[in-house]
Parts: sequence; C-alpha cells; structure tokens
Amino acid sequence: MNNSSISNRAGDKAESIIVRKARQGDQQALAELVTLYSERIYNLALRILRNKEDAEDVLQETFMTVLEKISTFDERSAFFTWIYRIATNASLMKLRRKKIASTEYLDHPDFEQGRENKILQDWSRNPALTLDDQEVKKVLDQAINDLAEIYRAVFVLRDIEDLSIRDTAKILDISEENVKIRLRRARIFLRDRLSEYFSERV
Amino acid sequence: MSHHHPEEVIKKVCEQLGEDLEAPFCKEVTDHLKECPNCRIYFDTVKKTVVLCREMEEQQHLPAEVRQRLMKVLRLDRKA
Repeated sequence: MNNSSISNRAGDKAESIIVRKARQGDQQALAELVTLYSERIYNLALRILRNKEDAEDVLQETFMTVLEKISTFDERSAFFTWIYRIATNASLMKLRRKKIASTEYLDHPDFEQGRENKILQDWSRNPALTLDDQEVKKVLDQAINDLAEIYRAVFVLRDIEDLSIRDTAKILDISEENVKIRLRRARIFLRDRLSEYFSERV
Repeated sequence: MSHHHPEEVIKKVCEQLGEDLEAPFCKEVTDHLKECPNCRIYFDTVKKTVVLCREMEEQQHLPAEVRQRLMKVLRLDRKA
C-alpha cells in the first residue's frame, strides 16, 4: 500500500466520522462538510453550467438538499457520490429550465461510420494550438456549451473531474457501458468542432 | 481501403475513444494505429481535444463572497 492510499483511507475515515456527526444534526460537522466540498461542487456546477451565477445557485441548492436529507443518507455508500449526484442533478435541472442545451446531439455517428475515405488533417501537433489563442478557447468553450446535457455531464465528470467510469455511472444512475458510449460521442463531437475550425483557418 | 479498416479493429479503436485514452490498449489496436494514418490522426486529435479541455477547465477557487453567502443561506455562518 502506498502513502497516498494510506492518506486516502485516513481521509475517508475522518470524513465518515464527520458525516456521521452531521447525520445526527451536529452543526459544526455540517459546516466542515461545506468546507470540504463547496469548492468541488462549485467547480462541478460551473463546468456543467458555464455561468458563475448559475453555479452559485446550484451550490446553495445542493447544500440545502444535503442539510435536509443527510439523515436519510446511507452510510454504506460514498458521501462524495451522493453529493455529486445531488449537484449534477441540480445542474442538469437548471440547464433544462434555461434550455441552454437546445442542441440535441443524439445521433452523432461514431468513428466507424463515414471516416474511411476522408483525408484527415493532423492538428494535434500544431504548436500554435494552445489556449493562449483566445479564438481556440472560444471555439472550445462554445463546443462544450453546445454539447447536449446527457453528453456534457458524462464529459465533465469523466474527463474534467477525472472520476472513474464506475463513479460516473453511479452518479448519473446509468450503466458503465452507457458512460463509455456517451463519453466517446462527447469527445468526438468536441474534436470535430475543433477540426472544423482548423480546416476553416487553413 | 477496407483492408485497412477491419470492422472488429475499428470497433475496438472506437471503444477505446470512450475509455481512458492514456491506458495501454490491446495490441490489435496499437498495430492498427501504426499502419493506418487516418485512424492515428483521428485518435491523436481526440486525445489533444481532451487535453485542451482539461487545461481550459482548470479548478477555480471558491470566491470568498460566494462562500459567505452560502454559509448565511445555510445558517452555518457562525459555525465555520
């Protein structure tokens, strides 16, 4: 066992003690949970909603739900999966209400279709391709914004938050296979948008 | 061109695009990417896209006023 897994275990144990106290209504423990998770939840909501005010709304909504329902939280499951599920659902609800995700992208063809006869441009090693280029940043930001919610949530949890396929599936309450399919489509969608931009630029 | 793209191999390349892109994948896929420039380019550009997105979405600090408002809404402002 390495040092980081020992410290993770110690961290998990400390966290489960805080969660147990919070379940019993200990205000200090609840405040500690807010300190532990507020930044992560704010970032998660910001990444899904791409707007600071909306992210703050979701942050508040998430913790209000936590305070209201923590007595029903099953301690055998991971607290982080539980709170992430609450925050992800709140973010997706907000997206739906605001109809930001108006572009549904359900039938995106996967790699195996329609690629064989196309000559592809390799921009992956282009040294000019950095985020210092504001235009690249704008294209990428718009592309993520255009991702339909079912793909955006998987992409954010898996590729940006770096969660495992298993945890992503648990949080979204979908199968692991479905996580892989949605992730693949999200990645291909974003890649194709960048590629369009580069062909126009050339 | 179809001999460069055996269906089963393409299916695996495709599946890999939904997996951890840094993970060592099966020999069949590696061999195919070595000999098929189009698949290699596709794979590399998907990988580069993910790297750029990660860079763009770097972790932001929780603004102090956002935290203050949160604690107030939760009525935990005297406990923190």
